[in-house]
Amino acid sequence: MNAPGGAPVLAPGHTYASIADTISAIVLAERLGRGWLAGFAVSFLLLQGLLVGTAVLLVQGVGVWGVNVPVAWGLAIVNFVWWIGIGHAGTLISAILLLLRQSWRTSINRFAEAMTLFAVACAGLFPLLHLGRPLRFYYLLPYPNTMDLWPQWRSPLIWDVFAVTTYLTVSFLFWYVGLLPDLATLRDRASRRPARVAYGVLAMGWRGSARHWLRYETAYLLLAGLATPLVVSVHTVVSFDFAVSLVPGWHNALFPPYFVAGAIYSGFAMVLVLAIPLRRAYGLEDFITARHLDNMAKVMLATGLLVAYGYLMEGFVGYYAALPLERFMLANRAGGPYALAFWALVATNVLAPQVLWSEKVRASPWALWVVALTINVGMWLERFVIVITSLHRDFLPSSWGMYYPTRWDWAIFVGTIGLFFCLLFLFIRLLPVISIAEMQGLLSHEEPEAR
Amino acid sequence: MPPLEPLDLARLARELGVAESRLNALSRREFLLLSAGALLVAGAAACRQPVEEIVPYADRPEALADRELLWFASSLPRAGYGRGVLVKSFLGRPIQVEGNPAHPESLGAADPFAQAELLALYDPARSQAALRQGAPATRSEVLVELQAALERHAGRGGERLRVVTGTVTSPTLAARLAALERRFPAMRWVVHEPAGRENVLEGARLAFGRPLEPRLRLDRARVAVCLDADLFFAEPAALRLAREFADRREPELGAGMLRLYAAEPAPGLAGSVADHRLPIRAGRVEALARRLAFLVGAGPETGRLQEREERWLRAAASDLRARRGSGLVAAGAWQPPAVHALAHAINAAAGNVGGTVAYAEPAEARPARGASLAALAQELAGGRVGVLLLLGVDPAYDAPADLPMGSLLARAPFTAHLGLYVDDTAERCLWHLPAAHPLESWGDLRASDGTASIQQPLIAPLYAGWTAYEALGALLGERELSAHQGLRRHWRRQRGGPGFERDWRRWVHDGVVDGTSLPAAALSPRRPPPPEPSPAPTPAEEPAAAGLEAVFRPDLRLWDGRYARNAWLQELPDPVTKLTWDNAAWLSPADAERLGLANGDLVALSLEARTLEAPVWVVPGQAVGSVLLALGSGREGRGFSAYALRSSRSPWDSRGLSLAPLGRRRELACTQGHHRPEGREPARAATLARYRDDPGFASSAAHDPGPRETLYAPSPESSERYAWGMTVDLGRCIGCNACVAACQSENNIPVVGKDEVLRGREMHWLRVDRYYEGDPEAPRVQQQPLACVHCENAPCETVCPVEATVHSREGLNEMVYNRCVGTRYCSNNCPYKVRRFNFLQYSDVTTESLKLGRNPDVTVRNRGVMEKCTYCVQRIQSAKIAAERNSRDVLDGEVVTACQAACPTRAILFGNLLDPGSAVSRSRQAPRLYGLLAELGTRPRTRYLAKITNPHPGLQERS
Repeated sequence: MNAPGGAPVLAPGHTYASIADTISAIVLAERLGRGWLAGFAVSFLLLQGLLVGTAVLLVQGVGVWGVNVPVAWGLAIVNFVWWIGIGHAGTLISAILLLLRQSWRTSINRFAEAMTLFAVACAGLFPLLHLGRPLRFYYLLPYPNTMDLWPQWRSPLIWDVFAVTTYLTVSFLFWYVGLLPDLATLRDRASRRPARVAYGVLAMGWRGSARHWLRYETAYLLLAGLATPLVVSVHTVVSFDFAVSLVPGWHNALFPPYFVAGAIYSGFAMVLVLAIPLRRAYGLEDFITARHLDNMAKVMLATGLLVAYGYLMEGFVGYYAALPLERFMLANRAGGPYALAFWALVATNVLAPQVLWSEKVRASPWALWVVALTINVGMWLERFVIVITSLHRDFLPSSWGMYYPTRWDWAIFVGTIGLFFCLLFLFIRLLPVISIAEMQGLLSHEEPEAR
Repeated sequence: MPPLEPLDLARLARELGVAESRLNALSRREFLLLSAGALLVAGAAACRQPVEEIVPYADRPEALADRELLWFASSLPRAGYGRGVLVKSFLGRPIQVEGNPAHPESLGAADPFAQAELLALYDPARSQAALRQGAPATRSEVLVELQAALERHAGRGGERLRVVTGTVTSPTLAARLAALERRFPAMRWVVHEPAGRENVLEGARLAFGRPLEPRLRLDRARVAVCLDADLFFAEPAALRLAREFADRREPELGAGMLRLYAAEPAPGLAGSVADHRLPIRAGRVEALARRLAFLVGAGPETGRLQEREERWLRAAASDLRARRGSGLVAAGAWQPPAVHALAHAINAAAGNVGGTVAYAEPAEARPARGASLAALAQELAGGRVGVLLLLGVDPAYDAPADLPMGSLLARAPFTAHLGLYVDDTAERCLWHLPAAHPLESWGDLRASDGTASIQQPLIAPLYAGWTAYEALGALLGERELSAHQGLRRHWRRQRGGPGFERDWRRWVHDGVVDGTSLPAAALSPRRPPPPEPSPAPTPAEEPAAAGLEAVFRPDLRLWDGRYARNAWLQELPDPVTKLTWDNAAWLSPADAERLGLANGDLVALSLEARTLEAPVWVVPGQAVGSVLLALGSGREGRGFSAYALRSSRSPWDSRGLSLAPLGRRRELACTQGHHRPEGREPARAATLARYRDDPGFASSAAHDPGPRETLYAPSPESSERYAWGMTVDLGRCIGCNACVAACQSENNIPVVGKDEVLRGREMHWLRVDRYYEGDPEAPRVQQQPLACVHCENAPCETVCPVEATVHSREGLNEMVYNRCVGTRYCSNNCPYKVRRFNFLQYSDVTTESLKLGRNPDVTVRNRGVMEKCTYCVQRIQSAKIAAERNSRDVLDGEVVTACQAACPTRAILFGNLLDPGSAVSRSRQAPRLYGLLAELGTRPRTRYLAKITNPHPGLQERS
């Protein structure tokens, strides 16, 4: 299928067999490449930051971080929101674009979903680690107990628990159900017995019968329907952590839509950051084509503009409402001790994506990659600005303070990046990064003569 | 076989308490001897010396069976002067110090120094054993050696015997010293008090011909002028003066309200609440006093001073003349005698004597044949001292720099030091003996008005320390007489009679020996104030070439350094700078700008060829040209010791200080990072005139929109009997930190150390915010104590995911430590930022001695939980239990929070808002009531009364 006026979503000349061969070969046939080994080694090294950082944190307490009063939330929450945001693209691509019948999603949905899962896993660590008493995290869950106590339902943190766990569960199911036909393909193609057994168990007896396909299609569509509201709800709820409070700079009705837009923005940026090297390394240019890159760049541009509008409105409302505290907060962001972070945020998140108006930039994978990476940095800065600069100067000038991240703050952040990439490298080696079945589905639409 | 580990001789020597060199030449016999000794000592460590007159109860008193808290009256010294205290005791352990309401110089209040004595008592770093040249020894050894030394070195009549003490007010100890002087007619008793009151007494000698102590009465004053006199800190009667001041500052007094003028080089407590504060170099205060004397007709004409000084003087003089008989001029103890003489002359001329000021014999005991520390140093250098006893003093640390006491001590053949710590002096003496802490010893102390109090021990001495009385007994050969027996013998001699036993019990019980206050008389100066020295030191302009002025003052947290080992006081934010754990050279903003210095910059200070490295701190209100160097720091590597620059000739201020930036910085731990209110008016104030026009100025509609309409039921159901609330009167608060110290002691609040304060993690539940407004050189200062305000509509409660902070039916915002998981969301959402989080394990739960001092009614919090002010819920509960036993409701005044109890000015009111007659309910009727950040709809239960100032109408208010 050629999209009207665009590049193809699948390079011409492919057959069922060639698709299955190309994609499954990454898992089954290729030896461990040097690139893979090097990438995994670097990621694993970074992962040690998380392991050591967590050990130090659990032994000594959350005081090893830079948090204090007034800035009681630090990098942990910044990172949490950032990772959750990144985790948005997967569901958006998989569910919403599926429902909207955007067939170009097919080649990127699998690893976007995997990316979502890994990002949410990284995100989920932070709220646990940042607790003063992490071993008591289960107090946040509604479980029957002798204290006859439930969580406090008015707290946005409880909503968070539900939003994030729901999102994680649905994302996982969606990803796994989508994997079933491909796991069966791998089972059938694997040459060694352990692989056959492993993939066979995971494929849950998939035989590809018409009944299977019927059930599969129904379940997949239902899950897509279930996941769709989550795209909006998760970051809406995460934004409530801030919006529901009364801290100037947090207490803002604009937060839910602007957080969702920001999440999709950063999610797509992360997909690009991963997809561009991946397609190059494994020769997947036929499947992840220039068309995909172009489309994702356009989504980034659109959501980036929404985010910029959010900043503008935050400023305007603060100014227009003439509340001294709001005005002070704005002035402090732009001219206070953390002004550098704010202006870097404007440069990376508002100015940088404007180059995407140019078709040339959108057509150049490496330019796109740089822009996407810049946007990821920008979205991290955005969370930093929101969390830190709002807290550090709030109502009473006597309690104003500063927050400086410590090496353990950074170690754990870098460590989660290591975790993310470790998981991603394992995923690339163990599971098909592109949905074989769905790619074949594209083929059946496009080139009936190949059947 | 593996080789034997080499013996760690250094460690062994440390453990056995012998010099390492001895171990190297150890014979087999000696080794066995030492081993056996070590074994014995290890076993003996479990023993406590049997203590006289303390026997197990045959019938346990009911109070102990009930684990009830008992209160005992006592007295605690600061620089020798006693302040009456009540000490809370639980199962035989003192756990809290409060003021004794029956004591005339305490009036129920306790300053931070008295309260922190509790921590000093249990300090594991206290000296625990007698030491001879640093090695453990026994008391009998010192007694034997002392006797031998007296015979060999004391000379005829004790002419080579010297005893050094601090200020002595204790009648019993004074009597014993007098006995010693009779026994050794040629000995010398040296009083060494680094921040003593010699200038006060000398000033009186100039005016009256003999040393007298002026007794100030602010309760009768309508105008008071402080000439570098920090009435609420430096004076021994500070607690009483603060109370009298506050009572005279009620705006309801109208024109009768006290007006306070203060001229001082460095901001102090009195200056911060003065209506007109004049920053002025310490050396210029005398010129100011002369000019004031002229203006009120008490002295000859002098030259005009600077314009700002003249305006201040004219206003003060006109007030003194207009309020004849109800004015008061006070000279600070750190000002030279001439200023005191001038103050006496002004008070006499203004008719104040007999009203606001009277004169009494000093409460401190004077040596019959005294000598100065300088003379002692000379004698030591000349080898004319044979036996030197240092009782509770540390001259090696706190002597002026021109008297190198540390090195001179070795010149005497026999030196013995009695002290709570192995301090600089102890290390240089032949003998060190552990002193008994005032909370574990019998004794007596006089307050500045002479009122004597009996000190009673709250616990048997933890480390078998001696009192100074007992140590002197060794000199007199009265070793068998204990402090307790000696005390009773003294008082029986003084006030004996048939009713002595009854009287004695009453004195001990009340904490006051009635009828001991010294009579004060209305005396007029016999002589005119001394004439001006010939080169008139009253230029209108300052000679810039003379350099900066170094001003030495006791530290607002550490006094002269004797409290420097106290972690509570080290972490108590300085009332002016809010610094903890460090001191700094205070610079005025103008000087700092001129020298290009900022907070924390290290400079080399040099004065008379002595130099010192110190960080600077820019202090709004510090006099231009004057640099404050607070005494008392520099121990154990914290801060710098200003004694290194101080000279014995001009101990309080000297010109000629030069200051060279070193280009390096030292991080200083300040608990308040921003000092201007940014137009948010957290601490509100108005002049009396404005208050008359608009009494409700503090709660304008913009600030407090009133209750909002809501669909939600108030939750939870409120109690019908109690609604606890607090009112803090900013007009009475002087920012003295007594409340902060009381809260720390009552609520087992840990100290966190300098590094953690630097990270912004101090744990004080109650803090005193201090804001500056107006001109940085002469700012208006606002003090605002702030703890959890117990919002009725608390933002912290709705965001806690686990219901760890909940509302009680009586309106308390409660923390459930067990339930807290430490999300810290409550702290973020608290607009007052009064919640404190245990980021690390701050509470010391391993040191045994510290466990003894904890309040058993308050949980010791562990790592990872949030905490904050509870309105002293444990005190509320015990009052309720007591009331319920009697089938009645808690009466007003039965619940007194720790901060309220300690407050010298009664600025804090607490009670039941549902009782319309309660003091706190009545305070809610005041028009100057307002709620801090009430515009957020939090409905705080703690409300503030705005401060009303009383400036002179002719003086433009400082802006």
